[in-house]
Amino acid sequence: MTERDTSDRNAPANAPATAPTDAFGDDMLEALFAEARAAQAPALPDALSARMMADAAAALAPPPASHPNWWARLRLALADIGGAPGLAGVSAAGLAGVWIGFSGSGGTGALLTQFWQGAATVSPSVSEWVETDPLTDDSSTLWALMSGEIE
Amino acid sequence: MTAQDAPSDDALLCAYAAGDTAAARELMERLAPRVLRLAQRLLQDRAEAEDVTQEAMLRLWQIAPKWVPGGAQPSTWLHRVAVNLATDRLRRRRSVALDSIAEPDDPAPAVVEGMIEADRQRALDEALALLPDRQRAAVVLRHLEGLGNPDIAAAMGIGVEAVESLTARGKRRLTELLSGRRNELGYDR
Repeated sequence: MTERDTSDRNAPANAPATAPTDAFGDDMLEALFAEARAAQAPALPDALSARMMADAAAALAPPPASHPNWWARLRLALADIGGAPGLAGVSAAGLAGVWIGFSGSGGTGALLTQFWQGAATVSPSVSEWVETDPLTDDSSTLWALMSGEIE
Repeated sequence: MTAQDAPSDDALLCAYAAGDTAAARELMERLAPRVLRLAQRLLQDRAEAEDVTQEAMLRLWQIAPKWVPGGAQPSTWLHRVAVNLATDRLRRRRSVALDSIAEPDDPAPAVVEGMIEADRQRALDEALALLPDRQRAAVVLRHLEGLGNPDIAAAMGIGVEAVESLTARGKRRLTELLSGRRNELGYDR
């Protein structure tokens, strides 16, 4: 051993200045370090290089838009109903509903009354028609009617 | 292109952040081999060293868009990340039962007279492997990677004085471990 490492502040103060001849000295250690520093860094394995470049490419890719803004979401919703024409149809139906609601057509009871009153004025009435129905005689009459033999 | 014309690590990182994958390849070829060697020396395990290298580079890719040129050097930043990743793995290793640890490839010390340089380096690696983690990291970064103490302090997240203490104790321990192997290592011929 040659000289002690003076930067070693943890070395005991009474450490001997010399060492046995087979000891490993600081100069030898420094020589080992120098060899290690001079050694070429190992070549990158191809597989490792490929993995790192794949990581680099993936890190560059823009992240998927997981939270589209309100305008994009509105456009997507419109696309589901057929775009602008679909929106126009829905709007027209809505406006028609509003117009019907405000037009005062009355309740459904009035509608039914109007319908049945109209039905009562039809001639002949259903009961009269059934009584004189020629189609209920037999199937040959029905067939002749369908074939145009009966006007 | 001369060394002076070569773009800096900063410039390459910024070019990569702008979408230049060729810059990423150049940066990888420039920085990753040293990271791999550092991880190999700290971990003494090739597969783990490759994993640490890939993970450290991935973190560099991820931070690229936020990188501020002119600040820390990418190489220093990368060393710090690699040291942290490696020391994390060393901590996990210590929690594994001793009998589950695989034997080293060649645990027997070389005894060939006139050991060649590669064998001396292996002897150094074997001795480094016996140092406590922080001592080994400090010695490797200071004496094998050639980093300055302030850079090492930044990489390890400790003070400069702590780095000096760790490297001094590490060197003393290395000389102890290598004592008696002077002839074996070919320094007396």
